[in-house]
Amino acid sequence: MRILLVEDDKLLGDGIRAGLMLASYAVDWVRDGEMALRALTDHSYDACILDIGLPKMDGISVLRELRQHNNRTPVIVLTARDTKTDKIIGLDSGADHYLTKPFDLGELEAHIRAVVRRAGDVAQPLLVHRGVTLDPASKLAGVDGKPVSLSGREYALLLDFMSHPDHLRSRAQLEESLYAWGEEVESNALEVYIHHLRKKLGSDFIQTVRGLGYRLRSDGK
Amino acid sequence: MKRWSAAGRVRSLRWRLLTAVGIAVLLLWIFTGWFSYQQSGHEAEELMDGNLAQTGRLLMAIVENNEAQLGPLAARLATVRGADDNVYEPPLEFQIGRGDGSIIARSANAPDFPVLGVPDYSDIIRPTGSWRVLNVVSTDGRYRVQVSQSIALRDIAALEVATRTIFPLALISPILILLIYFSIRRGLRPLDTLANDVSTRSPENLAPLEKEPVPTEARPLVAALNRLLARLGRTLENERRFTADAAHELRTPLAAIKVQTQVARRSRDATVRDHALSQIESGVDRATHLVEQLLRLARLDPLKSVEGAAPIDLRAILAEAAGRARNGNPPVAQTIIETYPPGDLISHGDADLIGIAIRNLLDNAIRYTQPEHTVWLEVKAGADAYTLSVRDNGPGVPPATLPRLGERFYRGRESSAEGNGLGLAIVARVAELHGARLETGNAEDGGFVASLCGLPLSQPATA
Repeated sequence: MRILLVEDDKLLGDGIRAGLMLASYAVDWVRDGEMALRALTDHSYDACILDIGLPKMDGISVLRELRQHNNRTPVIVLTARDTKTDKIIGLDSGADHYLTKPFDLGELEAHIRAVVRRAGDVAQPLLVHRGVTLDPASKLAGVDGKPVSLSGREYALLLDFMSHPDHLRSRAQLEESLYAWGEEVESNALEVYIHHLRKKLGSDFIQTVRGLGYRLRSDGK
Repeated sequence: MKRWSAAGRVRSLRWRLLTAVGIAVLLLWIFTGWFSYQQSGHEAEELMDGNLAQTGRLLMAIVENNEAQLGPLAARLATVRGADDNVYEPPLEFQIGRGDGSIIARSANAPDFPVLGVPDYSDIIRPTGSWRVLNVVSTDGRYRVQVSQSIALRDIAALEVATRTIFPLALISPILILLIYFSIRRGLRPLDTLANDVSTRSPENLAPLEKEPVPTEARPLVAALNRLLARLGRTLENERRFTADAAHELRTPLAAIKVQTQVARRSRDATVRDHALSQIESGVDRATHLVEQLLRLARLDPLKSVEGAAPIDLRAILAEAAGRARNGNPPVAQTIIETYPPGDLISHGDADLIGIAIRNLLDNAIRYTQPEHTVWLEVKAGADAYTLSVRDNGPGVPPATLPRLGERFYRGRESSAEGNGLGLAIVARVAELHGARLETGNAEDGGFVASLCGLPLSQPATA
């Protein structure tokens, strides 16, 4: 899961990024509206956390511009303004959720899970595929009812696969969802994580499509 | 009908207009009737007088040339008289006599007195009614004729003419009043619409009122209302902006502290935890600074002037502020250049407050510029005041935000630099207390310049 964080305050941005990284999200952090718009246009994010009061271009304008170009990235607006009017303006400009500062990190994460679920057209919070379960809220995985412990990266990778159960995921897509900007990507790290997941979930749970990438084995085969 | 105003004697405009117009129409009606009665009475009198004269002369002509046959003629003439009910051929009485007044002939109802009246018109009141009488004497004086006609009938004729004149007016009056009523109602309807527009508005709707449908007389009212709405809108907008800015500045450090605390608690990695803890510390520092600035403003707000003002040495205050910045921990990377005019720079006021103002301006300049930039501290001595400026050669401020600088919690510069938007507000307040003012703008070479203008020379302007 790759998240764009748009927050001009150094302390707050740093805190949110650290918190989301602890929750195994790949977080890109920008500090003004123009950068935010550029990042959202150039990359694909699973969700965006957007502050309203931003230099160069305020959050509402970013949101409007984004929706005008039909970009459907789920957006959670963070703001200190808590009046009814502000909330209405925020939501009507295309926000999916509205959080008032100060807020709880756990609540923010729950909102991210909710908007991601909705964007993927998933009703069930618990992800299930061929006997493997993954609960994004508790980050617990299981195989046929038995719990399986996963590292942060393994969890993030499995979450990516199980959020797109019928899709072929290219190496680039997987890496983009695992690593934020500036994070060092070891050359064969992806293969290592996939190897670990296969060991824990069954060797044929993830299939390699030669030259194209990886996919979850579908029920029919 | 709904009254426009409940306030005392100022009643419904509609009713006032209608009453006034109604009374005017009634007066006009009465006056026209009276005038027309008078006029037609007068006309009738002249007509009848003419009639009398003609009849008198005719009788005279008949008598003069036919004295021999006066006997049978008198009997014939006596049968000539009008009818009682015909206004236009009223009963006519006559007497024909000789010069000595003895009667030769007379109509049936004419009196049997000698004909001796002065040859002129006269009115005679008899028990049988009032009569208009004309006496005629022949040129040789041998014959006299008196003709008379009932005045009552003449009055009836006058009344008839007057009534005919008034009658259409009486018919038209109700229509006229009705027309006026509807016209007033129609004319005042835009005011109803206006009142309705104002009363059904939501408090958020401060858009100007429509001027077009309102009558010219009411436009000044609409214009005044619109000016009020605009002022109200600006006040509300300022209030809203202030609340939003204040919420942002107060809540953001708290949000940061909270999030960093949660990160510290969740992380098992010592590096992450330490980083979060040090971030919490700077968050608390920032919040502390914010609270200090707020308290400072709160203390300055109720003051009307500087308490315990004394002579202050501007050079010493500026040098101290510059020195503190240069030797701070960590020292400021920007070059700070001080420029003072020769001689003593003694002003009057509170040294601490001026010091705080200068430090705030200096902090701002440093915060919003890069290490390679330069900051100038300058004092200019004018004829009756000092100007104290802090100028930099950094990126400056977007011109659109200049007017709002100095508003509390407003952060004008497009930068992610930390600040709370209170620094300039405090400077502006300090300037105000010293009878000076804060002026901000972009320097010609692009940097930002903030000046305290009008600081008093050594003697206080007011004791």
